[in-house]
Amino acid sequence: MAVSPSSGSRTRILVLLLASVTLVVLGLRDVPVVRDLREGAAAALEPVEGALDTVTSPVRNAWHGITDYDDVKRENERLRTQLAEAEAAEIARTDAETQLAELSESLDLPFAGDVPTVTARVVAGPRSNFSHALEIDKGADAGLAEGMPVVTGGGLVGRIDQVTAGTARVELVTDPDFRVGVRLATTGALGTAHGQGSEEPLRVDSSLPPRTEVEQGTGVVTSGVDRSAFPPGVPVGTVVETQQGAGGLTLELVVEPLVEVSQLSYVTVLLWQPG
Amino acid sequence: MGRPRFPLVRATLVVLVALLLQLSVVVDLRIAGAMGDLLLAVVVAAALTGGPDRGAAYGFVCGVLYDLVLDTPFGLTALCYTVVGALVGWVGVLVGRTSGWWPVLAAAVAGGLHAVLYTSAGNLVGVAYPFGDVPAIALALAACAAVVVLPLMRVLWWAHGHPEPDRLEVSWR
Repeated sequence: MAVSPSSGSRTRILVLLLASVTLVVLGLRDVPVVRDLREGAAAALEPVEGALDTVTSPVRNAWHGITDYDDVKRENERLRTQLAEAEAAEIARTDAETQLAELSESLDLPFAGDVPTVTARVVAGPRSNFSHALEIDKGADAGLAEGMPVVTGGGLVGRIDQVTAGTARVELVTDPDFRVGVRLATTGALGTAHGQGSEEPLRVDSSLPPRTEVEQGTGVVTSGVDRSAFPPGVPVGTVVETQQGAGGLTLELVVEPLVEVSQLSYVTVLLWQPG
Repeated sequence: MGRPRFPLVRATLVVLVALLLQLSVVVDLRIAGAMGDLLLAVVVAAALTGGPDRGAAYGFVCGVLYDLVLDTPFGLTALCYTVVGALVGWVGVLVGRTSGWWPVLAAAVAGGLHAVLYTSAGNLVGVAYPFGDVPAIALALAACAAVVVLPLMRVLWWAHGHPEPDRLEVSWR
């Protein structure tokens, strides 16, 4: 049989498996060459992806037309009604737009303080089913660097984990690998929040005793303790549930993120790095 | 059909085009909230047309390339693709045919296997991918792989030749 596995074949497969395991180990150790390779790949893809995005958009649009047909139909009917209303109220809308523009200019992120910010557009979502990252259209040229916090007016979105000249990748707060030091807005109790995947709440390993009463809806903000990767006071989410931690010695908090990270069009990067 | 000229160049072209299509098109075509995986389908097609050796080789190369552009642990995709490629190739050899519905079934099962394997491997290396997401991801991967595996097998034959025309015919011919 021409494709039957020989002993040489088994050896080659074993070598490939060992090579894969080696790559995993190197990746986990965050070896600089792996990081450099990934940054190189991102930089190389940047212009190609832009062109491909334009070329392939009809295919994606057609797919959404098929898979979202019922939604599109309902949306269309709703928009027709709204359009009629909007035309009747054009003068009022123009006035409202003017006011909105003025408001937007003066809009500030109350938790950002004096930290300079850069607003960026989200240009791509996660690239695989196991990825929890967004790509934004600002990079090192705009002053972005790895580790900078990414927020919206609603609160924490994630942090920059890779930067090229014109783009950056944002590790989302929902990434199972994401960790952020947090504190309860009411009592100041500290903990570490980590993601659990898209559409899932965050989990906070707190230092609180297991029988501590924590009210639902209690706010959770970044702790900003010494050497923290985030500035203090950035809203993260609200407590929706409490559970006993592993071993029953501490309290775990289930926290719903304030920002719906799958629905973002624009984000703000805080040009802040740990001191 | 004999061995084609420049098989390495053709194989490189196949993998790069698949990667670009994955990143530009497939990434946006979601089923039940999860996306398909064209590179996995290429690995399965390579395994079905060339056996475990080729399946593992494609798995490794496709996985490393995909890992380069992902934010997930480096090497994890390469490891899972290599395992899937080798397994599908071995089962393909045991079954002894690549015609009829067998490739479609193999591709669908490989999609599910990859979802389970990746989630498990991720948890082993400390990234707590939720197992609750596995059914939706497995469904999307299986559907995508099953739909594209037959055309991809033809692409792979174009790249590497058609060593056994009596056995490797697809039923629609």
